[in-house]
Amino acid sequence: MKFTGRFTVSPESSVFSLVMLPLLGAALVMLAKAFLKGRMAAGMQFTAMLVGLFGPWLALLYTFPLVWSGLTVEGVIGNWSGVVGITFQFDGLAWLINALGYTVAGAAWIYSLGAGPRGPVFSSVFLIQTAALAATAMTADIFNLFVCLEVLGIASYVLVASSEKNGAFLASFSYLMVSASSMVFFLAGLFGLYRLTGSLSYSGISQALLALPDQGGGLAAISLSLIIAAVAMRVAMMPLYGWLPDAHALAPHAVSAVLSGVLIKTPLFALSRIMLIVPLGAAAAQLLGYAGAATAIVAVLVALSQKDAKRLLAYHSISQIGYVVCAWGAALDLGMDTMAGQHLMTAAFLHAFYHALFKGLLFLSIGTSTDRAGSRNVYTLRGAASTLRQSGERLPITLLSFIIAALAISAIPPLNGYASKIAITYSLKGSWQYWVLSAASIGTIASFIKLSRIFWPQPARIRLMATEEPSAVFMPSVATARHSGLPAQIVPGPMTDTSAVKRANLPVGISQAMLALACVASGLAAPWLYGFVLRLLDSAASLGFTSLNPGPALYTADNLLKTLYMVLAGFVLFRLAVSALGSRLLSLVRDRHRGFHGLFLSFAVGLSVLCVWLLLV
Amino acid sequence: MSGRARRILFLAQIALCVLLVAAVLIPVFLSSMPWPLSARDYLQANGLAESGASNLVSAIYLGYRAFDTLGETIVLLVAISGTIAIIAHGGAVLAQGYGLPSGTASEPARHLPPKTRTELLEVVTGKLGPVVLVFGVYVMMYGHLSPGGGFQGGVVIASGIVFLALGSRVDASNSLTSPENLVRIESAAFALLLLAASSGIISGSGFFGNPLAGAGLTPVAFIITLNAIIGLKVGAGLGFMCIAMLGRGK
Amino acid sequence: MLERILILLLFLIGFAGIVGMRNIIKKIFGLTIINSAVVLLFIVEGSRIGNSAPIIDAEIGLVVDPVPQALMLTAIVIGVCVTALALALAFRLYKAYGSFDIDEIHRQVHRES
Repeated sequence: MKFTGRFTVSPESSVFSLVMLPLLGAALVMLAKAFLKGRMAAGMQFTAMLVGLFGPWLALLYTFPLVWSGLTVEGVIGNWSGVVGITFQFDGLAWLINALGYTVAGAAWIYSLGAGPRGPVFSSVFLIQTAALAATAMTADIFNLFVCLEVLGIASYVLVASSEKNGAFLASFSYLMVSASSMVFFLAGLFGLYRLTGSLSYSGISQALLALPDQGGGLAAISLSLIIAAVAMRVAMMPLYGWLPDAHALAPHAVSAVLSGVLIKTPLFALSRIMLIVPLGAAAAQLLGYAGAATAIVAVLVALSQKDAKRLLAYHSISQIGYVVCAWGAALDLGMDTMAGQHLMTAAFLHAFYHALFKGLLFLSIGTSTDRAGSRNVYTLRGAASTLRQSGERLPITLLSFIIAALAISAIPPLNGYASKIAITYSLKGSWQYWVLSAASIGTIASFIKLSRIFWPQPARIRLMATEEPSAVFMPSVATARHSGLPAQIVPGPMTDTSAVKRANLPVGISQAMLALACVASGLAAPWLYGFVLRLLDSAASLGFTSLNPGPALYTADNLLKTLYMVLAGFVLFRLAVSALGSRLLSLVRDRHRGFHGLFLSFAVGLSVLCVWLLLV
Repeated sequence: MSGRARRILFLAQIALCVLLVAAVLIPVFLSSMPWPLSARDYLQANGLAESGASNLVSAIYLGYRAFDTLGETIVLLVAISGTIAIIAHGGAVLAQGYGLPSGTASEPARHLPPKTRTELLEVVTGKLGPVVLVFGVYVMMYGHLSPGGGFQGGVVIASGIVFLALGSRVDASNSLTSPENLVRIESAAFALLLLAASSGIISGSGFFGNPLAGAGLTPVAFIITLNAIIGLKVGAGLGFMCIAMLGRGK
Repeated sequence: MLERILILLLFLIGFAGIVGMRNIIKKIFGLTIINSAVVLLFIVEGSRIGNSAPIIDAEIGLVVDPVPQALMLTAIVIGVCVTALALALAFRLYKAYGSFDIDEIHRQVHRES
């Protein structure tokens, strides 16, 4: 039951409107900038953003019945011959990735209306990035994957640099050098595969490889590992994550939300398309799954040691992507035609999706709080809740958002993080990954207890800090708070205007409320969503789930008791971490200086380990 | 750790890095597997008939794999606007405002001392500029028959624009080298490119399909159109970037 | 064989430049070099199966593989774009910290935070 070759206009055009609408929006933004002035230009830009970010929902709604009934829209772009042309594949997975991307991008854009950055360059680049996400989700051609990843990359380098902090230029530069170099390795891998198979489409490559004696032998293994390592660099898993903390911590908050929420996951799921069908794909996925488990635990320890609030969140992104990669790798290892593989992949996607929601919310709420308070130091900043109140937030939306998101990431019922972590650990029960991921969850709880201290009221100590640190713009008096909505130190430039901040509160509040509601709602509807995702993902493998499978039971005594133990252990870990010995140990972890070359050394090591692994199996 | 020890450790890390990469890449780079013939044979037999372009590279570039080309022009677009925002404006363009870099921020102007503007340079580039432009248009329009194409033609056009800008007196600028016009051309060409790419959807020949296939238009006409649009876009974009870097982004 | 070895050496020189050079402009050169090495590899290897340019004519022998050429056209442009952006970032870093030395820039950024 698949659409192949020629098909009617509607499915294909609606699928491509997911890519074309944001691009059209970008073109409109540029036209507005070139031809119009003042209010007209601003109005047109606003319309273009609406078209580009919310128009695709119509296409998603339209294509939903197709993917729901298990059909795949596939073919060759432009109806050219498949020998040279670009094949694409729009199935349940692509639908889900698009839904994820447009949810987070929409919320982040609404936030950026209030807190910046604004302007035509930001808007067009943001739209282009979203379009590239949609294109990445459905490509089934390896060179097209390269182009999509490059578009994603170049857009994110510019967006990271757009926060205008000097550190952000360095972060953007390091990110650019590492990811552009790894893309050259990707090309080298592509060279190897093309030389072996003479084909660029995934299906052509896998068929040709299977027909070769020894399935391509060493060259196939090495080429595949070059490609996988380059994509893994984008995903920021275990040895390759060095670029991420700076880039995500120094980007504007709205951009951080999209980078952590969507940008590091899309390449991973796009990669699963090719890994599923090439020989050695399962073996590579197995190793990546192990690396994912290691990522989850290592990154959470580093996160616990951080003092910059946003950098702490960035390390948590790495840790959470470790969960996703762990489940994803195990799923691909088992194969998507097995029941267990389907369940694991569902758990991986759900965690990616929920993580996008709560991490986006965390970046936005922490960004708002630290901007208003004028400091990002977790150890010294206190009383952020009262600062928020003084800055004119009558409903404590930001505080509530933070609480919801922090509970979600710590996997407290009934929020969404609980459901997806239960789903992942349920499927992995009995393996060593299960214990590693549980330990990582304890670390997550501890570090969010630590982060939440910035909201605790301690007025006496604050004054002390303010005098101790004259450089920090930090005086929680009503007068300063009112105009220091976005202090010059944090966001230099034109947005320190009082009126701008007052207007700013509305979109900032709306976007946070949207994401917070989404976190709660998806937590409550978790069993239903599980069945939904399971069925959509199944369209690729056709196991035939007809009724909605609610997944593992959530609120069993076992699970709740385990959560309770983990929270207690988290408290203990938190106390240890802030004790004298603990903080000295953690500062060793934090201050460990890895130079620029360290990024490449870890890439080289990761690449060669993957190569050896694939050559040995 | 002493400075020397640190230096040795650093060098050892670099050496390890390069050795590991070399070990991985040797089998890929030095492989002597025979090159696959399937794509070449297919294209040599059917490429001209299917696309109408006798230059097979153009046939792939704007026919079979036009979607990649769209991605590539988008990368160029982002790179140009990002580069200009980062250099000329210190990023302020990203944060706010419409319109073009204002004069105050165009620091690079001072990096070009007046003495480098010799009479010779002005005369030669001013006279050569139009010739280069014409050549660029030729390369752009004949890309389906001979080596060349929209991108290559666009780059030649951009250098023609730079020649004209160098050739004109310091403050004189004509309408072709004025940044406003270049930005307009670029954004309009981008919009046109997207429209051309999606026009096939409306006429029923699919995304990036030849929109007038039913009305007797051969695919090569579509390729020529795309070549012209891409040439305009690339020429205007690169020209704008060069002129902004020359410090005329006013 | 010789040309493949030379291309590999070119790649390794570029890679060593990216990793080992402290000057960020030289790092960007390194990036350009490894990009060119891979482009050369594609073009050189893809041209082994024919002896005329891939422009169809009446009396023509076997043409070279046009696919790598078209792919590399895209890769070259992307490489140039990334280089331009990297140079712009380097320019800003130089303006902010007065140095192209990556370690020096790291040190100053570290001090700021």
